[in-house]
Amino acid sequence: MAIENQLEVEGGQREAFPDPARAPGPSEPVVRAESLTKRFDSVVAVDDLSFELEQGTITGFLGPNGAGKTTTLRMLLGLAAPTSGRALLFDRPYAHLAQPSRRVGAVLEATDFHPGRSGRDHLRMLAEAVELPRSRVEEVLRLVELEAPARRRVKTYSLGMRQRLGLAAALLGDPEVLILDEPANGLDPGGVRWLRDFLRAFAAGQRTVLISSHVLAEVAQTVDQVLIINHGKLVVESSLEQLMSGTAGSVRVRTPRTARLGEALARAAIRFSVGNDQTLVAYGTTGERIGDIAFAANVPIHELTGESSSLEEIFLGLTAEQAA
Amino acid sequence: MTGQFRAELLKIRSTRTTAGLVLGMVGLILLFSLLTGLLTKVPSLVTLDDQRGLLAVGALSGVFSALAGIMLVTSEYRYGTIKPTFLFTPARSRVLVAKAGAGVLAGTVFGIVGGALGFGVGYACLAGRGIHFALDDRQTALLLFGTVIGTALWGAIGVGLGAILRSQVAAIIGVLAWAFVAESLLFAFLPGIGRLGPSHAEDALIGFTTNHLLQATPGGLVLVAWAVALSLLGTTLAARRDVD
Repeated sequence: MAIENQLEVEGGQREAFPDPARAPGPSEPVVRAESLTKRFDSVVAVDDLSFELEQGTITGFLGPNGAGKTTTLRMLLGLAAPTSGRALLFDRPYAHLAQPSRRVGAVLEATDFHPGRSGRDHLRMLAEAVELPRSRVEEVLRLVELEAPARRRVKTYSLGMRQRLGLAAALLGDPEVLILDEPANGLDPGGVRWLRDFLRAFAAGQRTVLISSHVLAEVAQTVDQVLIINHGKLVVESSLEQLMSGTAGSVRVRTPRTARLGEALARAAIRFSVGNDQTLVAYGTTGERIGDIAFAANVPIHELTGESSSLEEIFLGLTAEQAA
Repeated sequence: MTGQFRAELLKIRSTRTTAGLVLGMVGLILLFSLLTGLLTKVPSLVTLDDQRGLLAVGALSGVFSALAGIMLVTSEYRYGTIKPTFLFTPARSRVLVAKAGAGVLAGTVFGIVGGALGFGVGYACLAGRGIHFALDDRQTALLLFGTVIGTALWGAIGVGLGAILRSQVAAIIGVLAWAFVAESLLFAFLPGIGRLGPSHAEDALIGFTTNHLLQATPGGLVLVAWAVALSLLGTTLAARRDVD
């Protein structure tokens, strides 16, 4: 059992997550969605969604609020039944895993606690259910740095502490896969950095992470690939580098002749918006392309900046591309 | 299974809800026992069923046991802890069976405390006022054990009802309205059906001999049937429904 192999955190978090002993073969996907579909009455929340996650990857699962991210995660975790399609972890539905908490850890909502129960008791009741030793509860409390407030009732916890308590629960069984729904929600910058370091250390041991967010910037420094969904459909599946440098980015241009550049962009079917003080933002394109167009149209450029930090802009870019 | 059972017991012990329910139960039973025992005129405390009415005030513990069972399920839905619970134990029927078991165990404790308190206060009132104690040993044993068994079964009824309704408010109002209003009306107008309700089955189990009530053993079996049926229905529904 990998639990006993768990080392102290003193040497940094990296040592806390040794390579999982039960690693699957290199080509076998750890998480697999096959034509996953969920319909609520007339609304299609998740629409024929397919993807695979390889072992050892950190994947950002992105999309605006209401895109179907949480519904997808609920189906992966066996909390909701797909209308059609399959959601598999280690090649089987979550509910059919022999000891799911030892293979998959998940946090769906940072508020899933009884306010009147202590953090330690929350973890203990979960540990008891799968017969993990009480010492494991203390280990994960140490891991997420919640030892001091562990005896206090959860209602006294800050949102950041609740996020970490949820994470502690997910880590109880020393899982190979972590699935986190909006874990950075409500974290202060220090908390976001703590989470990033934590997840990097976790994934460094050939473990797999799926982390959802509606803000790309929150996870951009953590993930190495992204799945973007919108209206329940997969829009983009790419590595983070491709996404940031590729066609999906936006470009901010400062020029004294915004109107003329706008005409040229419209002819090239590039979507853009004009801001104040002589700036223009073009979506779904690259700096090279805009530079070429501006040169051809005789538009002087004072500043040209590629920006890919906002998921909303990427979405606009993607829809513009589809329209073109 | 034993792990899940221990987990459910820990859930019961680790919030102040249970302590609140025990306090409420003790207060209510003390109040009703003292009021009935001290203010009822002596001629109305002579017959067997009159004295049962006083001594069985402790059976109010059944309501609190049902509330504890309801809370054990509905607070998980209310606060979302049902998600980690089902993630750790995806076999949801195991969770619900463990909850029903924990509800019965908690109910047993409620029944012992409430039953002993009601009986003790009632007995002291009768003795203090010099009223002859009318119950024989068998009837006394039936009253005490019936209260404990009945209260224990109400714990499972609460778990089942909570799993069926999921909403804490709906389940609490539902069980109170049924036990104190609907079933009494049903028994008053259609006693043949009303006596099959859980409250009147429990009355029979405790030894009441009011007209139309079942005998003690069939009454106990009917109450068991209620506990099993509601627990099974709740388990089936919990296993089938999506968790938000």
